[in-house]
This record gives sequence, structure tokens and C-alpha cells, in this order.
Amino acid sequence: MKPAVGFFVAVFLGITVTSSSFAQGTLEKIDKSGALIIGTRTGSPPFAYINKNNEWVGFSIDLVEQTILPALNKKLGKQIKLEKKESAPATRIPLLSSNAVDLIAETMTDTQTRREQVDFTLTFFVTGAQFLVRKGSPVKGIQTIAGKRIAAQQGSTNAKIIREKVPNAKLVEFQDQPAAFQALSQRQVDAYTNDGIQLAGLKARAPKPDEWAVVGEFFSYEPYGMAMRKNDSEFRQVINVGLMDAIASGRYFEIYDKWFGPKGEVPYPLTPENKRFLQLQVVPK
Amino acid sequence: MNYHFNWSVLWSGQSGGWLLQGVITTLEIFLLGLLIAVLLGIVAGALRSAPLAPLRWLASGYVEFFRNVPLLVWMFFWYFGVPPLLPQGVQDWLFDHGVEFWAGVFALGVYHGARFSEVMRSGIQSIPKTQLEAALTTGLTVIQAYRLIIVPIALRLIIPPATNETVNLLKNSSVALTIGVAELTFQTRQIETYTARAFEALAAGTIIYLVLCLAIASIMAYVERRVAIPGMIVRGQTGAS
Repeated sequence: MKPAVGFFVAVFLGITVTSSSFAQGTLEKIDKSGALIIGTRTGSPPFAYINKNNEWVGFSIDLVEQTILPALNKKLGKQIKLEKKESAPATRIPLLSSNAVDLIAETMTDTQTRREQVDFTLTFFVTGAQFLVRKGSPVKGIQTIAGKRIAAQQGSTNAKIIREKVPNAKLVEFQDQPAAFQALSQRQVDAYTNDGIQLAGLKARAPKPDEWAVVGEFFSYEPYGMAMRKNDSEFRQVINVGLMDAIASGRYFEIYDKWFGPKGEVPYPLTPENKRFLQLQVVPK
Repeated sequence: MNYHFNWSVLWSGQSGGWLLQGVITTLEIFLLGLLIAVLLGIVAGALRSAPLAPLRWLASGYVEFFRNVPLLVWMFFWYFGVPPLLPQGVQDWLFDHGVEFWAGVFALGVYHGARFSEVMRSGIQSIPKTQLEAALTTGLTVIQAYRLIIVPIALRLIIPPATNETVNLLKNSSVALTIGVAELTFQTRQIETYTARAFEALAAGTIIYLVLCLAIASIMAYVERRVAIPGMIVRGQTGAS
């Protein structure tokens, strides 16, 4: 049996190594194919999701379409198409390494561990982990979850923190939001933890939003960035300039308002600190 | 832009423990699922050739209903659909005792039971009818004939396709991660979360599944040789060696 195992290992490694060893810049790749391929979500409103009209839309997607594509068009001197593929926490880094997508634009938290594998754009959204509970639930925040059944999204940073800070909470991890929310609404779990903004999104889209509450102080810091293959500074420069121009010109805030403003999908006003933080990331021309 | 493999993530930190925990959970869900699948498979497979029509209908109904719906749907059914139907006390007990795990076991067992029963039926139907008739003329009742002669012979005949089903059951146990069971695939994703090293984690998972499946295949091949009835099952190569 040993030679067979060796053979499969060799095949497996062979595939992953060859597919990731095309030493071609992302800009060059986009120039040749005429398309920017992004990995994004289908069930994370309002960042990236399928809406009632069956369109794949969201804040992250708008940012790419309205701030990054123009920067790419300008850089390459032609019209670049946008292609979307579905990504999930477990697949987003492999999607990048295998060249299947060029940019992850969804709800990915920028972390030091992830920066060892991929590079991030500047931070385009700031949030933190909270809990979604039925109104009146005894769960009020991370101090009150000991012994409770807590749903989390697998591959998220929140689950990691709960495991470290409250080891006796019973963590049940799901692959996506719909399954976790289903478990919560059927009382299979006592609370669902995720980034506050995503919970606000879920609550807003629930059949009866009034039954639910987003509770607790932020127990984590979740700066969202877009991820790309490591060591491709030319590509990263174009993306970052696109985002910076949008923040400097105010375009970013218009898009923010469309999704998070009072009439947006998920009302979530931008705090003055966060606005200042975004503006401080813009370096002079 | 070369990918640099860093295999040490698999044993540094908690990764090794998680992988081990994953393998144990996978084996637990596999063995319990297999137990249910084999029992249901034998009963339903035997009933499908039973001399009583209603029994045959019952068995066919079970097989067609359960094997023709995707396993993923069954996972959701046993996890989201069944508990609310149970009394509150049972629900609370289940929620405290790993309802995800048991829902996974039932989903796998009942789904694969339907598939096993078809394998079983093919084994029974490949036995000449005269065998049953001969058994009945010795004075055995129908149930005795099935229990003592037909089923034991059929079980020997179906070892190769049953190996297929067993290996499938093991691999399909990974679907349980959708309802939050922390089995092997789940743990490889966990490692990916903590280390951002997906290829290493996936490779480890792949190799472990491969080793487990090869082990099942060799155990089944050993069982096949051990329980063979000399002269009864004629193979292509040498008879009984």
C-alpha cells in the first residue's frame, strides 16, 4: 500500500505546486484576459449577497465596481470586465493561491496570520464581534455565555476568540450564515456570534426583525480588507489608489450611504472615529 | 509567487490535537452510522425479496425515498427537522448531548442503509431460488431459511460492493460538518482558520482519509478471504488459498 500513498501525495502536491508557480503579475493576467475575477459571498448582506431580484450585489461588490475597476481601466488603458465567483472563509486563500480569483472582496478580516499568506488592501470597513439573540435572552455579551450553546461561522475570527476566552461555552460552528441563523431561530443554540454589522444585516432581513437583538460590546476588532496574492505590489498599488481616491473624493461615503445610510439595506451610521480612520489611511498624491 | 509549503503547522500548536480529535469523531460517526446502515440494509434487503407483497412495498418505499434525496438534505432534516417534533425534555437533553453528532449519525445510517439494502438485495437475488426451496424442504421456516442460509451466503457474495459502500460512508461523514459536527474535514478547516495554510491542512486531511479508506479495503479483503466457503464462491483466480 505504501507506494500507492506516495503516488497520491506526489500527484496532490504536484497539482498545488504547479498551479501556484505561474510567476505572472496579476495586472498582466488581467490585461491578457480582460477580466478582474473577484471571490465574494452570496449570503453576507449587505456586503455581498443575492438580493430579492436575484442580483449578486453588495457594498463590497459596489466598491470593486465603482472604485477599483475605474482605477484598473485607467492603469491598463482599456475596459476591464468584472467576474464574480463564490468564496467562503475556508476557500478564499486557496482561491487566490490557485489563481482562480484575483481579489477577495467580501467580509474578510485582515489579520497578522493571514498576512503571512496573502496581502491586504487598506481597511475598507471596521466592525467587531457581537451576539444575535432572541429579544430578552439571558445572553447579553461575552461575559454571559458560559455554558450556553453559541453558534459561530467556521473559519471566522470570532469562534477563535470565544474558544480562547470562554472555553466552557458550547461552540457550534456552521459553514454559512443561513444555517447558523436557522439553528438560532429553532432554538438549537442560544446565540449566534459574528461581526456586529453582519448580525445587523441578518436581523434586518429576518422575517420579523423585532424579535431579534444584537447585543454585547465588541469583543474583537475586525478590520475588513480585500485580499490578494502576496508580493504583487503593482496590483496592490492600483487597488489601493482606487480605494484612496474614492475616500478622498467622497465617492466611498456615497456608496456607504447607499447600503448603510438611513434608507439603506442595513442602517448603520458611520461613526466620526471610523470616518476619520478611513480618511487617515489616504496618503497624499 | 511560489507557494512555500510549511508542513510544521500540522504539528505545532493545537493542530495535531485537532487532527486527532477529528479522526476520532470521524471514526465514531462512521462506526455508528455503519452499524445502523448495515442493520437497516440487511433487513430492508431481505424484505425486498420477501414472499409477502406489503413487506416488499414497505422496503422499496424506504429505499427509494431515502436514497433518492441528497445526503446533505438528510443532514438538515435530522438536525433542523426532527428535534422540534420531539418532546421538550428530549430536546433539551439532545441539545446538551451533541445533537449535531446524533443527527449526523442518523442521516448517514439511514441514507446508507437504503443503499446497502440494494447491495444486499442483489446478493440475495444472485442466489438460485432452488437454494431457498431446498432449505424449506429440510423443514426450516422461511425466517429460519433466510436467517441461517440465504442471508449468510448473500453477505459473503456482496463483500466487494459492500466495501464500496463502506468507503463511501466514511467519506460521506464529512458532510456532517455542515451541521457543525467537528469531524476530520471540519478540523482541517479549523487549522486553516488558525494558520491560514489551507493546502497543508487539506493535504493532511486527504492523506488521512486515504489511509482510513485503504485500511477499510484491506480489512474487508481479509474478511472476504476468511469467511469464504470453499467451493461456494468461485473466483477468477485461485479458489481457496
